[in-house]
Amino acid sequence: MSRRLILAVATLGALLLTASCDSHGGRAPCPAGKLCLEYGNTTDPRSIDPALSSLVDEDHILGDLFTGLTQYDPASKPIPGIATSWDVSPDGLVWTFHLRKSKWSDGVDLTADDFVYSLRRLVDPKTAAEYANLLYVIKNAEAVNNGKLPITALGAEAPDPYTVRITLAHPAPYFLYIVTHEAMYPVPKHVVEKWGDKWIEPEHWVSNGAYKMTQFALGDRLHAVRNPYFYDAKSVCIDEINYYPTTDIVSAERRVKRGELDFNDSIESNRVAFLRRPDQMPAYVKVNTWLGTVYMPFNGKSQPAFRDVRVRQALTMAIDRDFISQKLERGVQPAANVLVPPGTAGYPGGAEPHWASWSLERRQAEARRLLAAAGYGPNHPLKVELTLSNLASTILVFTAVQADWKEVGVTATLAPEEGQIMYADFNARNFQVGSAGWIADYNDATTFLNLLRSNTGQQNYSDYSNPAFDALMDKADHEPDPIARGVDLAKAEHLALEDATIAPILHYVSKNLVNPQLTGWKPNLADWHRTRWVCFKGRRAPG
Amino acid sequence: MSTILAPGSREGAAAMQTAAIKGRSLWDDARRRLFRNKAAVTGMIVLATLVLLAIVGPYLAPFRFDQINKNDVWAEPLQAGHLLGADALGRDLLARLLIGLRVSLAVGVVATFVSLVIGVLWGSVAGYAGGRVDELMMRIVDILYSLPFIFFVILLMVTFGKNFILMFVAIGAVEWLTMARIVRGQTLSLKQREFIEAAQAAGLRRGAILLRHIVPNLLGPVVVYVTLTIPGVILAESFLSFLGLGVQEPMTSLGALISHGAQEMELAPWLLIFPSMVMVVTLMAFNFIGDGLRDAIDPKDR
Repeated sequence: MSRRLILAVATLGALLLTASCDSHGGRAPCPAGKLCLEYGNTTDPRSIDPALSSLVDEDHILGDLFTGLTQYDPASKPIPGIATSWDVSPDGLVWTFHLRKSKWSDGVDLTADDFVYSLRRLVDPKTAAEYANLLYVIKNAEAVNNGKLPITALGAEAPDPYTVRITLAHPAPYFLYIVTHEAMYPVPKHVVEKWGDKWIEPEHWVSNGAYKMTQFALGDRLHAVRNPYFYDAKSVCIDEINYYPTTDIVSAERRVKRGELDFNDSIESNRVAFLRRPDQMPAYVKVNTWLGTVYMPFNGKSQPAFRDVRVRQALTMAIDRDFISQKLERGVQPAANVLVPPGTAGYPGGAEPHWASWSLERRQAEARRLLAAAGYGPNHPLKVELTLSNLASTILVFTAVQADWKEVGVTATLAPEEGQIMYADFNARNFQVGSAGWIADYNDATTFLNLLRSNTGQQNYSDYSNPAFDALMDKADHEPDPIARGVDLAKAEHLALEDATIAPILHYVSKNLVNPQLTGWKPNLADWHRTRWVCFKGRRAPG
Repeated sequence: MSTILAPGSREGAAAMQTAAIKGRSLWDDARRRLFRNKAAVTGMIVLATLVLLAIVGPYLAPFRFDQINKNDVWAEPLQAGHLLGADALGRDLLARLLIGLRVSLAVGVVATFVSLVIGVLWGSVAGYAGGRVDELMMRIVDILYSLPFIFFVILLMVTFGKNFILMFVAIGAVEWLTMARIVRGQTLSLKQREFIEAAQAAGLRRGAILLRHIVPNLLGPVVVYVTLTIPGVILAESFLSFLGLGVQEPMTSLGALISHGAQEMELAPWLLIFPSMVMVVTLMAFNFIGDGLRDAIDPKDR
């Protein structure tokens, strides 16, 4: 009896384990004559409503389901999407997009009204969209989002069914990237108004991209199939896609090796060199520069100690980033003392805080001094909780941070969570200090620095609010000279880093594991890879 | 089984006299049979060594279990003073293994104790009370039994947060079901015995009969079951840690160590091999002792 119980526990364990490692014990069945792509996507989406999503993994899915006015080509350049062409007024403020005739996946015509509706919905305070701040570049968007103006006041209009005109608050050279961003995907007005929040359920789902969603099982997979009404359906090669949440990156890697997955959007940094060995899978490994930063926001709302700038500075400078970058990450991802990654277009850099060049010993000594000055020491130790994602490599990195903080007398407990739950906690400010990651939405420093503006809302996880910072950012927005603009932005960043409202840790690189049988998959700076461009060797699209 | 004989009765006195002459009780017999069982004795020696290591080992190891040695990342066994090598953060595997063993054993013992207390009380009350009370209590057990065990624990952990203490309670609170059934069955047969009738005739209260006469006589099967529950619990804890729901960094357990080891399998095989070996040895020791005890206490079963 008892041994049978142990056996039962062990069997159950083994079963669960196999269930979690390989959901289907092999490649998922694919209908005869169809081409299926098995897509490893690190976490489940929180929502597949474009207005309510913000994770890279969510955009991987949304980018296949929707096509905006413009879209990313295989090299992540914005190219015409539903808009075939556009004109910009000489002052750079009025953008007019000319739309093609196209249909939603239920056969209903897609018109300029849908775009205007979607934009208004995104900035509508009732929607509470995380990315509303991205559209603050549009005229009146901020006032509408704050409820000071009606949503019809937004600078977006449809003079005729196939023209969208957008008026900006200030010139923005990067606006085309915002147009291509997931926040500007159209949503089907006729479906959203009919079903409300339930429109994202598979039985009601309607989208305008190359694919439409047919099934979503949390923790298992999201299934999408070809959208016959897509305007360019003939050029699409893959018929069906399964997106699997692959939190266990190492087991995802083994699934790619076995051919169960064609692709995984992540590799553990410390395994990159191993996988590149000739007897492993060197042809699969695609590592590329990526504009992004891992940083830790300090939330003074739930941890009063973080309201003291000395505590934040001490914790920021006590971290041994070289160890994390060189030893844990095996040099794959560079150490970061700043939020805006080097190489960001038009950015002069030089925003490092004054301690960036100090030795670790000096920084730790200074950290102890600052903590003591703030009233924390052996008799009154500071205890904090660090919220992080449950990826093995993330836990490793923050165990090192935990040890560095212990060196200066601060006890941190680690609270690992599923990625999508962690970000929901960040948005709700239900954390003390966290491990956040930000990937550029467009190649400009403002995509990072806007996070710290006092009017940003949810994405300003540390609720940073410094009038001097805001003033510099406003000045940069209206600065026509690109060099002077860059200098203003760098000054603003320096200010925020001296305030230590966040602690940058690492800059990202993109690490994809791609089956060499896939064609049309190109490494690129933004790491966007839309499935509509992808095919298998020797196969081609019907048209 | 000494309490079978009600002191003062004629047979009792005679039997006690015989026992005094021979100097061998039923427990003595059991002990002798146990010590003749080579597998069980080996199991006991191995287990004693492991327990000793888990208790004093961490104090003797040259490194602290959470000490990050920045120059010893992925040190191989015997390299840089790391007897069993070091992990991705340069933490000594031996020190972590000893702490992990301590945590796993502690979880095993505490959770089993929780299940023992609940299970014995529940089962003996149900069995002795009989009738509707028995029906009701055992149906509750049946319902809880039908919940998938691991999912239930995961649900508890997710609802109440990942608390180390909660894990003990959660596992223990699930493990008591089988214990309750075994104890109830034993109680049903015990309550028909003459010494219970004698106690009832003497006017002893129900609670007293339960605690003084029933529970001590359950000892045999319960002890056997306990030794077999502990490894089950250790396995359950390891499984939870493997899923990331168990102990949190920098604390560790055998399951957490094996989980990390499996991640680094190709690059640092020692991180998987040593924890797995310790795990297997621990589980086998418990199982051998459990089997030996069962054979010793219940000779009919051989």
